[in-house]
Amino acid sequence: MARKILRINMGDLSHAYEEVPEKWAKWAGRGLTSTIIADEVDPTCHPLGPNNKLVIAPGWVSGTPAAPSSGRTSFGGKSPLTGTIKEANSGGLSSQKIAKLGLAAIIIEGMPKDGAWYTLVVTKDGVAFESADDVLGKGMYEVDEILWKKYPSKPAVIGIGPVGEEKLSNAGISVNDPENKPGRYAGRGGLGAVMGARGVKAIVVDDTDGPGVEIADMDLFKTGRKKLTDAITSHDLTKPNGGLNSFGTNVLMNIINEAGGLPTRNFSAGQFEGAAKISGEMVAEMVEKREAGMTGHGCHPGCIIKCSNIYPDADGEELVSCVEYETAWAMGANCGIDDLDYVAMMTRECNDLGLDTIEAGNTVAIAMEGGLIEFGDKEAALGLYDEIRQMSPLGRILGQGVEATAKAFGVHRIPTVKGQSMPAYEPRAIKGIGVTYATSTMGADHTAGYTIAPEIAGVGGKVDPLSNEGKAELSLTFQAATAFVDSTGYCLFIAFPILDIPDGWAGMAESVAGVMGMDITGDDVIPMGKEILKIERDFNMKAGFTAQDDRPPEFMRYEKLPPHDEVWTVNDEVLDEVYAWVNGK
Amino acid sequence: MICVLNVTVRSADYFINLPNSFMPTINITLYGDIASHGGGKYIASLDLELPEGAIMDDLLQTIGLDPEDRGYLFINAILHDMPGLYASQETRLKEGDHVGIFSIRHMWPYQYRDGIRMSNALKEAMKERGEMRNTYRENPKN
Repeated sequence: MARKILRINMGDLSHAYEEVPEKWAKWAGRGLTSTIIADEVDPTCHPLGPNNKLVIAPGWVSGTPAAPSSGRTSFGGKSPLTGTIKEANSGGLSSQKIAKLGLAAIIIEGMPKDGAWYTLVVTKDGVAFESADDVLGKGMYEVDEILWKKYPSKPAVIGIGPVGEEKLSNAGISVNDPENKPGRYAGRGGLGAVMGARGVKAIVVDDTDGPGVEIADMDLFKTGRKKLTDAITSHDLTKPNGGLNSFGTNVLMNIINEAGGLPTRNFSAGQFEGAAKISGEMVAEMVEKREAGMTGHGCHPGCIIKCSNIYPDADGEELVSCVEYETAWAMGANCGIDDLDYVAMMTRECNDLGLDTIEAGNTVAIAMEGGLIEFGDKEAALGLYDEIRQMSPLGRILGQGVEATAKAFGVHRIPTVKGQSMPAYEPRAIKGIGVTYATSTMGADHTAGYTIAPEIAGVGGKVDPLSNEGKAELSLTFQAATAFVDSTGYCLFIAFPILDIPDGWAGMAESVAGVMGMDITGDDVIPMGKEILKIERDFNMKAGFTAQDDRPPEFMRYEKLPPHDEVWTVNDEVLDEVYAWVNGK
Repeated sequence: MICVLNVTVRSADYFINLPNSFMPTINITLYGDIASHGGGKYIASLDLELPEGAIMDDLLQTIGLDPEDRGYLFINAILHDMPGLYASQETRLKEGDHVGIFSIRHMWPYQYRDGIRMSNALKEAMKERGEMRNTYRENPKN
């Protein structure tokens, strides 16, 4: 059965299945969400108004048998945080179940006329528009629990917390994990507010008796799958008991700190004296010491990397899943907090309220800089999440993210690009990531430019990684490769083994070709990724963005970052070069 | 928890004939499984006295760490070595240096280290092998 588009109209509470138009047929995941948004959403519309849409799409290989670590779901729309096109993706249960229902994408449009809230129940038989009265106003832990009791088939639950209901710009979209916990977020860019603006509190996806995923060339798919699986399970970083499996993404905390690139106390320093106490190594030690929780946890069925963790409290009870690097950094180092238990408690607050942890931690740091509370005051920091939960005037400001909070407190050290705050890598110390932060179609985003081998990218002999001169082409190539991987449904962490093991790179492309029946190889990855980037860049230009928006924050040009006392030194010309090919130059 | 040790090395035969009795103190943090070489589980921090003129190879020998089990290595926030490279072995250590050493299992994707401070010896080593690798071990599958 060919894939279908499921279009849900919240204005008249109707739904329809549509054939996938030829123009969209080759896309999935991010490629499809961005294509649909670009085709159907006015770039100048208000993100919370009636003309924006929320698009949900599994990747090319999602829902196929045993494709490794392939449970990513893409969510797309116009972002209320950045004003740009936005794709944020998540692990959890949703990707495989949507795909197994035979759906290429779900498009949610319109707004309920009566202002009511709904839980959408998506099954093989269609969509039921259930009242959300039983889950409205509740945090995501309770929402997931209620909906699994109500729908005993253990469905995927896509939902928003109270922050999304209030349509605040830092609202993420939660997806439940295999244990029905809400730790998997399409966090960045405020798409939870876009979902809330459609009057949708939750989407229950039940794939029982669904048609499954059609595979055009099973032999090719299996060949590619084996190559990729072999690469993942044999590489130091991704194999069982490898770096990610043992310490999670938070394996980076001590490394970035040792390098002097760990943003600390609102990007005022590059090293944090308490980094080791909130690192992945410490998470592993606490799990062993408390004889509870776990490392090596998988966020979706079929993950073979398993970089997630379950962090236990002092009594051995599960506190949160998971404490990953960006979260621990945002809640910890960037706020001057070195207490892992408090980091975990704040992470749980974010998961429950429906907040993106990166933006939330950065926002608290801005409030600290603005004098609301002191850097390092963990009790007060935790208390700020109560303000958000209570939707006090202060809480509403904090829920809008970094830039709104900076204005409210008169702060000028604002680590954002296109309205979105930076993740855990300081561009003054790690300049390559700064180029990607500045030019990404999504605002500052650490997942926008994953490295691929230059010889694979076709830029092998042309760039010198040690020089600024090659940084534009490298960043573009990395952004294109990432846009492709974001469309596959594979976790972006497959990028690590396929960088070092060429068979893995080929296997990724072959598995996609096998599912879709497309004639593509590893050589097509970058050109297809650039197609996606062009679609996104064109949308942003129509929304009013120019090259002047592709800039790091001003303070990074004149404030020296200790310990290396570096400022941002990459010329604007380098930044302009990244997307000159779209601008016709 | 973080294990802190004070290790004083005074009797290694290798150093007996070195002139001067000044013993620079080096602060070392070990991350990952190699923390056991400093008495920790996954993180160990220790102060080590080494004879003046000691190099990185001496430090690794003193704590009993096989260079093949060593991943990223920093001295004073400057990257001096990578998994599978041996650019730091001859680097001379001095009083007050901080050395951070990671296990071979630690990862650091290129996009998150593109532009960081590196030693000249490491730059040269990476030019030969290509900079955009996650590991320089001959066979990352092992």
